[in-house]
Amino acid sequence: MSIGRDDVLHVARLAELKVAEHEVAPLVKQLNGIVDFVAQLAAADVPVDTPEFTVGPVRASLRADVVAPEPLARSAERMAPDWQDGFYVVPRLGHQEIES
Amino acid sequence: MSAVRHISEAVRSGRTTARRATLHAEELLRRADAKGLNAALDWSPEYLGSEAGRIERAARSTRQALPLAGVPVAVKDNIATLDLPTTCASRILDGYISPFEATAVTRLRAAGAFVACKANMDEFAMGSSTEWSAFGRVQHPDFPDRVPGGSSGGSAALVAAGVTPVALGSETGGSVRQPASFCGVVGVKPTYGRVSRYGLVAFGSSLDCISVFGEKVDDAARVLSVISGHDPHDATSAELPPLSLATPRTDLKGLTIGLPEEFFPADLHPGVKAALDHAIEQAKALGATVRRVSLPHAKYSVPTYYIVNPAEAAANLARFDGVRYGKRDGGSQVDLPGLYRATRGTGFGPEVRRRILVGTYVLSAGYADQYYHKAMKMRTLITRDFTDAFSAGIDLLLTPTTPTPAFKAGDKTEDPVAMYLADIFVAGASLAGLPALSLPVGRSEGLPIGMQLIAPAFAEAKMLAAAAAFEAAIDGRREVR
Amino acid sequence: MTWETVIGLEVHVQLKTRSKMFCGCATSFGDPPNTNVCPVCLALPGALPVPNAEAIRLAALASYALGCTVHATSVFARKHYFYPDLPKGYQISQYDRPLATGGQIEIDSPERGRVRIGITRLHVEEDSGKSVHDRVPGKTAIDLNRAGVPLAEIVSEPDLRSPAEARAYLTAIKQILVAAGVSDCSMEEGSLRVDGNISIRRPGEPLGTKTEVKNVNSFSYIEKALEIERGRQVALLEGGGRVEQVTQLYDSSTNTLRPMRSKEDSKDYRYFPDPDLPPLVLDPIWLAQRKDELPELPDQKRRRLMERYGIPAQDAGVLVGEAALADHFEAVVTAGAEGKLAANWVMTEARTVWNESGGIEVSAPRLAALIALVQGGTVSHQSARKVYTLLRTDPADPKVVAERLGLVQVGDSDQLGHWIDEVLATFPAEVARYKGGEQKLIGFFTGQVMKKSGGKADPKGVGPLLARRLGG
Ligand SMILES: [Mg+2]
Ligand SMILES: [Zn+2]
Repeated sequence: MSIGRDDVLHVARLAELKVAEHEVAPLVKQLNGIVDFVAQLAAADVPVDTPEFTVGPVRASLRADVVAPEPLARSAERMAPDWQDGFYVVPRLGHQEIES
Repeated sequence: MSAVRHISEAVRSGRTTARRATLHAEELLRRADAKGLNAALDWSPEYLGSEAGRIERAARSTRQALPLAGVPVAVKDNIATLDLPTTCASRILDGYISPFEATAVTRLRAAGAFVACKANMDEFAMGSSTEWSAFGRVQHPDFPDRVPGGSSGGSAALVAAGVTPVALGSETGGSVRQPASFCGVVGVKPTYGRVSRYGLVAFGSSLDCISVFGEKVDDAARVLSVISGHDPHDATSAELPPLSLATPRTDLKGLTIGLPEEFFPADLHPGVKAALDHAIEQAKALGATVRRVSLPHAKYSVPTYYIVNPAEAAANLARFDGVRYGKRDGGSQVDLPGLYRATRGTGFGPEVRRRILVGTYVLSAGYADQYYHKAMKMRTLITRDFTDAFSAGIDLLLTPTTPTPAFKAGDKTEDPVAMYLADIFVAGASLAGLPALSLPVGRSEGLPIGMQLIAPAFAEAKMLAAAAAFEAAIDGRREVR
Repeated sequence: MTWETVIGLEVHVQLKTRSKMFCGCATSFGDPPNTNVCPVCLALPGALPVPNAEAIRLAALASYALGCTVHATSVFARKHYFYPDLPKGYQISQYDRPLATGGQIEIDSPERGRVRIGITRLHVEEDSGKSVHDRVPGKTAIDLNRAGVPLAEIVSEPDLRSPAEARAYLTAIKQILVAAGVSDCSMEEGSLRVDGNISIRRPGEPLGTKTEVKNVNSFSYIEKALEIERGRQVALLEGGGRVEQVTQLYDSSTNTLRPMRSKEDSKDYRYFPDPDLPPLVLDPIWLAQRKDELPELPDQKRRRLMERYGIPAQDAGVLVGEAALADHFEAVVTAGAEGKLAANWVMTEARTVWNESGGIEVSAPRLAALIALVQGGTVSHQSARKVYTLLRTDPADPKVVAERLGLVQVGDSDQLGHWIDEVLATFPAEVARYKGGEQKLIGFFTGQVMKKSGGKADPKGVGPLLARRLGG
């Protein structure tokens, strides 16, 4: 068993996912199944100097610095769950929660 | 003649019209819905009618022949369309209509094709059976109690049922090849970067490829040639022109085909084995040299995939937070963390939640080296196995697409790892970013069986030409035992 | 025993581009909320980032300006945290393979003189949007115009030894980046932001526990905030307590710090390479061109001004502090003025005008002509200052203006003699005291003559004439 109840609750908090109490035990079991399965990689022999995989072109192609926003066929306002005076609106953040 | 060629030539020559094509699509969609296939999500007669008008206007105003004139395409619901919703079969995006269009869809429509419907799928493309859709599971077109494979099961079922001759799906780890195999149609995954991902809702960004289903190899190839080619909106898009259509081959002379021993285990399903044995005999008869090869790290493909993919998925799905679009949950009294947790906790289904949790875990402090970084190194080794084989003179690798034919609905939903192992033969090419396809090569007790071809990066033309030769030589509907 | 303060700063500067880091939206300041947005910076499903070439060029320039090594290959990484003004749920930044590392700059420390401060790294990232807490009652309003604006994050070594030094470092960084044309570094528009890390220790001991000071939006506030935090740490340690790792938010209205409630998990950013972006690979030839492209930087300019014009280090430092003034100074010298005199004028009169209006209103040739009038004795220094003020709006020649105002000095001995006679007649008692030996009264008589002449009498002519009259 590599994953316990606390691990599930910890990652659920990091991922901002609500997990109801009755869901915890089944998740512990399922995640253990998955993590134990992928953990077979631990036994694999991988030379330490193996580079990590990068996908796609060897270098990023860049764009020219031109103001040309992709148009929105529907406005931001129409898509927003809550919108007032041109702003997206969310529940008030406590001052302590403010990050810069 | 392939259906795509037939329709487009008929529309171009005036033997039929785009309007008749959309009316026909409407009729077929109605029938499929009535049958309870549940493969099509959103479609509407009004939209089809407006598309018919658009295509007719385009045909009149352009001097160039529209290569896909009047061709109906089912589009997986994780590919952004302007006029039909794009929900990823998730409650969190229920009713969401994208304000921009995927590059692949723009190119299809500019070529004269139209989006017949959005296709059902596993939620956010997470699954191998299309049982994880928030809008209900998709039936296998021939065996209603079985699954069509996944995650692009809706697209596969629509092509297999004859509703559309071609469909767009998406591959992250076999999500087109595996359902193509289960449903008995052609499924082609291009090289990573060959088709723009702009407008494809990201799942595993380093793996995701818009891919194509067709009744025949030629159907898929024609669509691929339209949607491929560099796109400045995708930094991972290869700086190459669109794929040009190769002359189909009728033989395999001069080709060396490798059979990786790791893909032919002793416990392979007997029907799959019989169909593959027959295909290998045909390869030899068509003039190919067949050689056994080894891909020693292939056995780590699925565990590697199920680290990399959830890690990227957890990050890619962080944007679904109920702030700017989509569904918001939690009621009016909730604080911000409460809003996030309720929106995401109830908006995502069980498999999506599992992947997000696993992905967050393998990237979290103290575990990233052991899981994520080790997997990314293993990915390099898995890729090297393929490139070593190709540089040792192998032109194409030939394997079964899946270890078994389509399984019964409900068989694997309680056991995530068993579901993951349905992708054991398809994960490798995804991890290595290589082009691969599945071709029907027979049936076992009526269930379709697919053969996989894997090619070097950007060698789609060679792969498709060879697949056409196999297709001509093998009756994919033949019972193998 | 004293405490040694150890400070490192993280500075975020906005790179001066027209469009955002990863999309084509404008970066302009002050537009209506949520108008410079698109699928990419709204993090709509299916949108993808494409890096802005100009942002990379500016970041490379900034790196060279700060003496860094720019790496041919660097990697964009995702930094994860949930916040409503962070649309994707992660920020695209750089992590273990930043664009540049290992730089250093020289600054004028108020306590230690000229010191070198190491630059650990410079990396490129995107800005978040803005959360507005006082706009909608009981709610937080989000504006995403800033989301995706390109930033360079510059991390210093913990080489700073006082809050005042931290401020001097910021001033130097700003001067360098403005000179390099990389950023406007305007704190008002949010194009420069600072976070500080501070700890204290007994000299020679290992580093103490550091705390973070955030949310500071002016150069003087960073000094104040760090002062407060240093004081708090000293009091803690001297009271037998210990410093805990904490992030302090500065409130400028009360000049206080308050700790940010940190969620226990908030620091697990789960960085990994962004799979939407291949590595950033820069051609060595292109990089060499960027290095050559760098304009003269403040430090080089300071040395050059001292050597070429023979002005003191102090003056050169002041002039370099505002590039336009340094340029003006050089133009004044080129127009014929002597170095030190030109420096004095530019550092006083021209600088006052610059601070008022942001312009050089009196051109270099006219200032040089005015300086020549003073040197030639045509106008006094005091009068010349009046003339300078008029030259701001009057296009006429400085000499013409001086004449029109009657400020041209009178050297004519008849006129001077006339004024002297009048003064001596007005103060017979003082004349008697002078003649009795109070030689220092000569200054008093000179002053009275100047006053009588309305400042026009040339003091160089008044002295000898007075002496002759009084002695005769
Ligand atoms: Mg930063
Ligand atoms: Zn934008």
